[in-house]
Amino acid sequence: MTNMLHLLPVEAYTRQEWFDREQRDIFSKTWRYAGFMEDVSEPGQYITVQAGLNNIFIVMGRDRRLRAFHNICRHRGTQLIRAVGKTQKALTCPYHDWTYDLEGNLVSVPEEEEEFGKVDKSCLGLKPAKVDIWKSMLFVHPDPDAPSITEWFGPVEAHIGPHVPEDLVEYEELNQSYEIKANWKVVVENYIDVYHLSHLHSGTLQMYDHKAAKFHWEGPHYMFWEPPVESFAADQEKKLIAPRVIPEDMNGAWVPMLWPGIGLAASEDGWNVFIIEPLGPELTRVSNRGRVSESSGWEFAKQSMRSSYFWTKFGLSGKYADYDAMDDNDPMVSGDFTAEDIYACEQQQASLKSPFFETGPAGKGESPVVDHQKVVLEWLGEVK
Amino acid sequence: MSGEYTPLTVRETREEIGGLAKTVVFDAPDWDWTAGQHLPIRLVINGEEVRRSYSISASPHTEDGLRICVKRVKDGLVSNVINDTIKAGDVIEAAAPNGTFTLAPGGTKRRTHYFFGAGSGITPLYAMLTSVMAAEPNSFAHLAYGNHNENSILLEDELNAIWQANPDRMSIHHVFTKPGWWSSAEYWRNGYIDKPAIEALIAENPPYAQDAQYYVCGPGGMNGAVKAALMSLDVPVDRIHMESYGGSAKLDTSVESMAATAQVTLYGQTQNVAITKGQTVLEAVKAAGLKPPFSCQSGVCGSCKAKLIKGEVHMRAYMALEDKDIDDGAILSCQSLAATDAIELTYD
Repeated sequence: MTNMLHLLPVEAYTRQEWFDREQRDIFSKTWRYAGFMEDVSEPGQYITVQAGLNNIFIVMGRDRRLRAFHNICRHRGTQLIRAVGKTQKALTCPYHDWTYDLEGNLVSVPEEEEEFGKVDKSCLGLKPAKVDIWKSMLFVHPDPDAPSITEWFGPVEAHIGPHVPEDLVEYEELNQSYEIKANWKVVVENYIDVYHLSHLHSGTLQMYDHKAAKFHWEGPHYMFWEPPVESFAADQEKKLIAPRVIPEDMNGAWVPMLWPGIGLAASEDGWNVFIIEPLGPELTRVSNRGRVSESSGWEFAKQSMRSSYFWTKFGLSGKYADYDAMDDNDPMVSGDFTAEDIYACEQQQASLKSPFFETGPAGKGESPVVDHQKVVLEWLGEVK
Repeated sequence: MSGEYTPLTVRETREEIGGLAKTVVFDAPDWDWTAGQHLPIRLVINGEEVRRSYSISASPHTEDGLRICVKRVKDGLVSNVINDTIKAGDVIEAAAPNGTFTLAPGGTKRRTHYFFGAGSGITPLYAMLTSVMAAEPNSFAHLAYGNHNENSILLEDELNAIWQANPDRMSIHHVFTKPGWWSSAEYWRNGYIDKPAIEALIAENPPYAQDAQYYVCGPGGMNGAVKAALMSLDVPVDRIHMESYGGSAKLDTSVESMAATAQVTLYGQTQNVAITKGQTVLEAVKAAGLKPPFSCQSGVCGSCKAKLIKGEVHMRAYMALEDKDIDDGAILSCQSLAATDAIELTYD
């Protein structure tokens, strides 16, 4: 009998075949996060992003409109441009120097006459993809005729918090990316597991009232909000680490997980993204970036000093005491909730292949985990 | 049916810019139109029937109602009669709104609309801008509006009101050619809506929604200049929509016409019409006793649009058509001269 992890077979978390199906049917057919809007903000600037099976680049024209194209030369398929950079008016394939303009039109073929006689350039333009900006983030869709980004994310807007990320500025120190040795669904399930918050993070996220959390789904997108605990909410201006970015009557942690693998984490003093990218059946990359209030350095210093007294006494701590540490870098004594989550994900993944692995019941606070598995099955066409 | 005139009662009139223009609001609750379209009207002045088409200066998605805003043209016949005499309760004959310079808003569409207008060219742009604010909630709009100075801004109060109601989704940029020396009126730039102004507008207001569209409506020379400036900034031509206002449209008189026979379908009937040398298709069709739709007879309004099925014509002007309409065979019969000796067209 197939060993199940709730609704999905364990193979869904370990096998290349499942990974390939998800790449094809989920990550190639949805809007893919590509960065922050300031990443491509000058004419000629470009970036590339992998959207499932598609490598797509975004470039800004002199009209400051973004264009997105599949990063494939129409001649023999070579990737046209690499990673990030700046161009002038044209994109040239390194293989045979076929050159395209910023509308994707093929404008020049070297030695056209000798080599080809005549090339009908009008049929050999780059294949367009769709690009748009939502909540200050760049998104691409491999299908140029995909419904608009506001059709896709519109239903969540009322539930993800009052933050206006366009008015906030990036806080560079929050920019990091790391690999987790676990399937991407393990990482998502950890993110949306409400039950674990009071346990794995008993010493790191106790400023929010997990028992009062409210969560629901908007289509394939998971919505989550929880209020601050009383001791953190009272006189909160003295406790926020950075200047406040939302009105007080909207306090709390807003932590949705948009489909697929697009996590947001926003609170009273900041707005962050948590992008989950599958690299292999058992390897996932997480990329974090964040924004804070556009205030002066002095405002930040004041807020940080003012809040330090509270945080010293509030007592953030590791899950395990120092004397239980396995080594100097033990995530379970780190007092860092991200390290705790990575630890839990990797430990769970490591157990999946054990012949003795068996799943216990899912608690109420784990219902999002089961619901996310349903969404995966729907997108893979497995729901009757 | 297009081309049929119906009497409409004037509900209200308002003087604009110190009596240099007049807004005429009609009682026409059942009329439908798309922002950017014209209203063909027919008046009898000194015993002569005259026809004109004026842009509807309101969105069908707001409560403004069917209305036009007519600016006095120096020595102009109709514009001055309207400004001097038309009042509430008068009856004016009007035909169904038409024209292809339009913006149809969509509830799920997400676009950034750039509007470039000057003088009375604001009227269709105002209809488009207010349509976007009323019926396209995910989209953005930026307007550059050229005038002599603050005394010639048509619909100024209404523009300010719509801006105030939607400060996060739109912006208005006044460009004055002759700002008063002693005036304290605020404006964005001095001069014309030229390439530097267009570049500055886009740099200061880059598109947030990436489906950007550009609409141009100004006197003769402005349209070509704005279009050229946009294209030099990599804007693809199929995103540029334009219409000429006032001034004279440049006529292409390079082609000699020829006599021809036209097979014409109109209101479901087909008959052959002889076109003499020098005659336009519209003139020939009218001379044959048919009653085709028409209005401005200068290629601006689009009332006399037909579809060419066979043969070729030369259009002296085709302001009312976009490139894609022409690709689909659309012709303006008032501007079309036969270029082959047998043609076939339909108005239906």
